[in-house]
Amino acid sequence: MIELELIAAFATVLLQQSAPAIPPTAGAAIAVGLAAFGAGYAERGIGAAAVGAVAEDDDMFGRGLILTVLPETLVILALVTIFVV
Amino acid sequence: MSIGTPSEQSSNYEYVTARVRSRKAKLYDEDDYRKLTRMGTGEIARFMEESEYETEMNDLGARYSGVDLVEYALNRSRAKHFSDLLRWADGRLYSYVARYLRRFDTWNAKTVLRGIYSGADREAIETDLVRAGEFDEQFVSRLLDAGSVEAVVDLLDGTVLGAGLAEAYEEYEQHDRLVPLENAIDRAYYENLMKGLPADPSRPTALYIEFLRAEIDFRNLRNALRLARSGADVDPSEYYIEDGDLFSAADLDRLVGNTDELLTRVRESRYGDRLSAALDDLETADSLMRFERALDAALLEYAEYLSRSYPLSVCPVFSYVLMKEREVRNVRAIARGREAGLGAEEIEDDLVVL
Repeated sequence: MIELELIAAFATVLLQQSAPAIPPTAGAAIAVGLAAFGAGYAERGIGAAAVGAVAEDDDMFGRGLILTVLPETLVILALVTIFVV
Repeated sequence: MSIGTPSEQSSNYEYVTARVRSRKAKLYDEDDYRKLTRMGTGEIARFMEESEYETEMNDLGARYSGVDLVEYALNRSRAKHFSDLLRWADGRLYSYVARYLRRFDTWNAKTVLRGIYSGADREAIETDLVRAGEFDEQFVSRLLDAGSVEAVVDLLDGTVLGAGLAEAYEEYEQHDRLVPLENAIDRAYYENLMKGLPADPSRPTALYIEFLRAEIDFRNLRNALRLARSGADVDPSEYYIEDGDLFSAADLDRLVGNTDELLTRVRESRYGDRLSAALDDLETADSLMRFERALDAALLEYAEYLSRSYPLSVCPVFSYVLMKEREVRNVRAIARGREAGLGAEEIEDDLVVL
C-alpha cells in the first residue's frame, strides 16, 4: 500500500512539474531495487523449504540451490532497464 | 507448551512442509505392503531394518525379536517422528501440531488405565506407550507407578484430560467398567482440540478446524454404528463428542436405533461422495470392520486432498501424521496377522488400510 501511495505522490509531482522529479536513471535504479526486494521475498520461502529438503536428504542440495536462486532472474531482467534508459 | 495462546512468532510452514513431504515419500507404499503381507515376522523385521527403521531396529534388535521387535520399533519411530514435528514447528503451526499430538497423551493415559485394570506389569505397559505428546518423562513414570486406577485418575485430574474424570470414576466404581473413564479422557481431548481457536479464522485455520471436525464426525459415526450394530443398551450420548457437523446429541440418540436413516444421513452429508463406496459395502456386505477401514481411508484421502490444495498450511503436516499412523497400524497388523497364521489375502483384505 505504501508503495502505491508513493507512486501516486510521484505521479502528481510529475504532473505538476515540467522537469521530471525522478530522472530516468533514478527511476531505473528504483526499478532494480524493487525487483531485488521481490526476489528476496520469494527466496525466503523457497530457501526455507530447500533447507528443509536438504536436511532430510543431502542429494537435494543441488536442486534446492537452483530453485532457491531462480527468483534472481527477476533482478537480472530488471537490470535491463539500466541499459534501456 | 504454548497451547491456547498461539505465539506471535511467525510460522515456518515452508520448512516444516518440505521436511514432512520428504518423510511422507519414504513411508511404505502399496507394493511394500503387498510384499510385507507375504513375509514371516523375521523377514518383516529385516525388511524394516533395510528401510526407514534402521536405527530403531539396531537399537532394539539385541533385546527383542519377532513381532515384539517390529512393534517396539514402530512405536519408537512414530514417537521420534512426531516429536521431530514439534521440534521444527514455530509459532501458530507449533500450537496447532501440539494440540493435535495431544492425542498421544490420551492414548498413553488410556493405555496406563487399561494396563493397570488388567493387572499388566509396569514394563509391559511402558512398552506400549507412545511418547509423542505433552506429558513429560517424569509425569509418565508417575502414571506408571500409580498402581491403581484411582491413583491414575487422581494424577490426571490436574491435567487438561482431567475434566469429567471424577464423575466417570464413580461410574467405574459402580459397574467396574473402564469405558466411562476412557470416554471422559477422549471427550476432554476433543473438547480441548476445538477450544481457544481464533474466532475469525484465516483460511488455513479454517481448514484446520474443518479437518478436526471431519475427525470428530467420523468418530461419532463410528461410535453410532458400533452401538447400532452391537445392540448394546448404552446411552449413545455417553459417547457423543461435541463440535461435529454431522450429528447433534439428539440426532445421535435417534439414529442409533435406525441404521438406515443413519446411513442416509451420512450419504446426504458433505462426506457422502467420498464414503459412497464404503456405504454401499456396508449395506450389502454388512461388514462393520470394512466400513471402519473405509472411514479411515476416507479421512486419509480427505487429508491428502487438503494437503495438496493448501500446500502451505497445517494440512500437509496432519496428512503426514495420519499416514504415519496408518503405516504403524498396518505393519503391526501384518506382523500380528502373520504370527497368528493368517493368509496373505486375509490380511490384505481385512487389516491393511490403503
